[in-house]
Amino acid sequence: MISAESLTKQFIVRGVPLVAVNHLSFHVSSGEVYGLLGPNGAGKTTTLRMIMGLLEPDSGYVEISGIRSTNKSTNIRKQLGLISTNDGVYPWLTVREMLMYFADLYAVEQKQARERLEELTDLLDIRRFVDQRCSTLSTGQKQRVTLARGLMHDPPVMLLDEPTRGLDVVGSQAIFRFIDLLKERGKVVLLSTHRLDEAERVCDRFGLLHRGNLQFEGTLNELQHATGQKHLVDMFIAFMSKSEESRPATIPSNELSPEA
Amino acid sequence: MNEYLSNGRLWRLCQKELRESLRDRRTLFTLVLMPILVYPLLSMALQRLVIGSSVKTKAETELLIGVKDDETADRIRQMLNEAQLVRDEGFASPISTVRNSDQPKSDTANDLGTLSTSTSISSSTADEIPDFRIASSDPTSLAAALRGGKIDLWITDIQVETLKLQNGIAPAFEIQAEFRQGDYRSERALADFRRALQLINDNQADQFRKLVDRRLKVAMTFKATGVAEPQADLSSSIAGVIPLVLVLMTITGAVYPAIDLTAGERERGTMEALIASPAPRFALLLSKYVAVVTVAVLTALANLFATWMTLSFGGLGQALFGKAGFSLWTLLQILPLLVIFASFFSAILLALCSFARSFKEAQAYLIPVMLLSLGPGLVTLLPNVQFTTLMGIVPLLNILMLSRDIMVGQSSLVPAFVAVFSTIIYACATLVIASRLFGAEAATSGSQESWSELCGRPKKSQMLPDIGELAIYLALLFPLFFVASNLGSMFELKGSRALFVNAAILFALFLLMPLAYAWYRRIDLAHTFLLGEGVGVGESLFKRISRWIGYLAGVLLLSAGLWMVAFEAYLLFESWSLAAQLTEVDKERLKSDFLAVPFWIVLLTGAVAPAIAEEFFFRGFVLSALRSKLSGFRSVLLSSLLFGLFHVIAGSVLSIEKFLPTVILGLAIGYVAIRTGSLWPGILLHTLHNGLIFGMSRFTEDDLAKWFGNETKHIPIAWLCGGGIAIAMGLLTLIVSSQRKRIHENTV
Repeated sequence: MISAESLTKQFIVRGVPLVAVNHLSFHVSSGEVYGLLGPNGAGKTTTLRMIMGLLEPDSGYVEISGIRSTNKSTNIRKQLGLISTNDGVYPWLTVREMLMYFADLYAVEQKQARERLEELTDLLDIRRFVDQRCSTLSTGQKQRVTLARGLMHDPPVMLLDEPTRGLDVVGSQAIFRFIDLLKERGKVVLLSTHRLDEAERVCDRFGLLHRGNLQFEGTLNELQHATGQKHLVDMFIAFMSKSEESRPATIPSNELSPEA
Repeated sequence: MNEYLSNGRLWRLCQKELRESLRDRRTLFTLVLMPILVYPLLSMALQRLVIGSSVKTKAETELLIGVKDDETADRIRQMLNEAQLVRDEGFASPISTVRNSDQPKSDTANDLGTLSTSTSISSSTADEIPDFRIASSDPTSLAAALRGGKIDLWITDIQVETLKLQNGIAPAFEIQAEFRQGDYRSERALADFRRALQLINDNQADQFRKLVDRRLKVAMTFKATGVAEPQADLSSSIAGVIPLVLVLMTITGAVYPAIDLTAGERERGTMEALIASPAPRFALLLSKYVAVVTVAVLTALANLFATWMTLSFGGLGQALFGKAGFSLWTLLQILPLLVIFASFFSAILLALCSFARSFKEAQAYLIPVMLLSLGPGLVTLLPNVQFTTLMGIVPLLNILMLSRDIMVGQSSLVPAFVAVFSTIIYACATLVIASRLFGAEAATSGSQESWSELCGRPKKSQMLPDIGELAIYLALLFPLFFVASNLGSMFELKGSRALFVNAAILFALFLLMPLAYAWYRRIDLAHTFLLGEGVGVGESLFKRISRWIGYLAGVLLLSAGLWMVAFEAYLLFESWSLAAQLTEVDKERLKSDFLAVPFWIVLLTGAVAPAIAEEFFFRGFVLSALRSKLSGFRSVLLSSLLFGLFHVIAGSVLSIEKFLPTVILGLAIGYVAIRTGSLWPGILLHTLHNGLIFGMSRFTEDDLAKWFGNETKHIPIAWLCGGGIAIAMGLLTLIVSSQRKRIHENTV
């Protein structure tokens, strides 16, 4: 499981300190899909990067299966799978070569990797083009390759960073099926997205992040109860307009966002 | 890290990068198509240049003489007419019979080539005085015209003197001229003009000798000065072009894969997944590096082959390098240079591209670097620029100069060694830098952060320097050390002053700079430089004192034996030393110079100072950095090899004979340092060792022979046995008194 304890990260942008993530704490257990929601620049990607150990938090820590995540821990990274918005493929490698490469990056034994590859080709329906170069694949096929790539080392924890951005309905459906699959297998899933409608469909619990602060956390029922709104979208709009009133005059948050 | 270095995994990582590069059409374009296109075109252009220059010389056109005014022009015309007249009327003796003593006085240094040319011409064109055209103008434009090939000879001055003879007076002329040395046309103009004067001279001398005054032999003196460079350099400057082209093509070959494998990962969106993986960045970068170097080397091979084909079958090779042409052997000599160069430049390319977020950005970084690298390239094209040892440390320039020298077959060992060695060091350091920059951008928000991580002062302190820091420091140290160790000979310092300067340099580079660097990087000084007591901290005073008495005894015993080993190791390679090439007289002079320096100064600057400075660096900084990654044995071995290498390159000549003795000393002291966990016993051992060697050199060979009881320089067997026993006992004492604790187990 993932537990984040009081994670804080501050960036200096044009000499002005900007708190990207402010004392963020949450927990996700096995078989649970947790939606980290928020508009662009809310601090979602920064949080994911701290979980992966790519960024060192200024204070607080992340624990994955009881191991603390730090910059150098390779053991932590083996526990994590990452699928993100901009994931690409290697155009000159075949699908098989690329997947085997990632198995090597995660130090998976060759034999094991081959078995996993066989399994995933069926599971994600990529057998037809497994020996084609990635440059010849369609967008949907590439996407499935990316999903397979994230599972090559069979990580107990899967981080999904805006996985449906730029995908059509069919593509998004594939992602949902993938998340269901992960859930079935008892993985910890952390989904970061700004598509609230989608989150509603797949997530068990939500954390609403705004300007680095966790505003609400709970199941859909709990949130509906707390805010008096039925849908996440409405909750967010209500919440945004409230915070807009109390907002000090600063640079727009998306301009400051570290992931921009 | 180990799971990435074993099971062929690193090789598989490399394979992926290689596949990616070699399957890419754009890589193949620079690899195959460019050489096929570039070299034949280049060869055609060069051949045109070479043939063009010889065609021009053969053209029978009017030769043009430049003079300062019309009066001079008239006088020259008169002279030429007179010469023609002499020739036609035939009262001159033929030139071929003119004896040397009768030839006009001239600037012999410049004339050697000219005279031979003149003979060959006179044979082909008989005695014909050619039609000279004469033009007058001001000196500045004439000078320019001469250099630009618009005029062929410039009569700079004519002085008329009146010679007093027994029966009256006669005019005597002193003529000065300038010509383009090495230029066929200009030299012919000079030769013809001189022949004209010679005709007049001979004729007059003849007349005067018969009629007037026997003493007069010379009525005209002619002095010609050559301007510009000899034409022979055309081939050497073209020999400079070829390495330059090869190097540039190698770079071109490496550029695309370097961008593609770094900035390309970002553009394709694979970077994040890559650096989120547990694979160490260094392993990732290393595999990319292998791919880039491979492509660069393949490009180099393709280019070398294309060069060879072009030069052999295009006829240019024979035009430039004589009948034998451009041999495959020369190419094979250049190939390793290109490989070394490719490994250096690939590291630079990767370091630069690791910054870039996109292809465009990477290209923006690379273009200035490519242009900068043209600078040293142009230097190699300048004729008469010698490849000095000092140039050997300038990256890029060193390889270019070295390959130019190899092409014309005149490379020398020392600069070559320095060039190769320094390039390898630079490549390693750049690779370390690149691996730190690689992927940093994806994780942090600004590129400043990745730089500050590398060069800035870290926020957190660290116990020991890591190997990367050692590589960066060595890359800084090497050129500095090289320049500094040449300072002595540059300022011609002698005697004790030279010794003191030397000691000061050692202190600055090996003691103060590492200390400052370690302080700046917040590296723990006491741990890194083993300043503490080492093993046995916290024990009772009695135990500690007895431990140190043990160290002292051990070190004394070791030093009693070690100097003999070092001395014998030195004798093995003595024939390599510079001293072996000196004459007896020089040896005596050096020895008396050395003996003139008071012994305490020798000890202070030759034993105490180097011991302290070198121990701080080699057993402090270097050994600790190596210990952070490697086992004790490997660290000691590597640090000793480095210790030996630095002694080899100290001074302006390679002292290969010093390598083995210093490596042995390094091994011994390294062991002592690891064993005791303290620097101080090693400093004492180093001081005693150097002191004993210097002490021995105060004696003459006769003294030594008397001592050793034999005629050879070798130490007698009995002594060596004693030395061996002393070493064994010393080691034993050290082992016993330092327990079985190792330094870093104890302190880290």
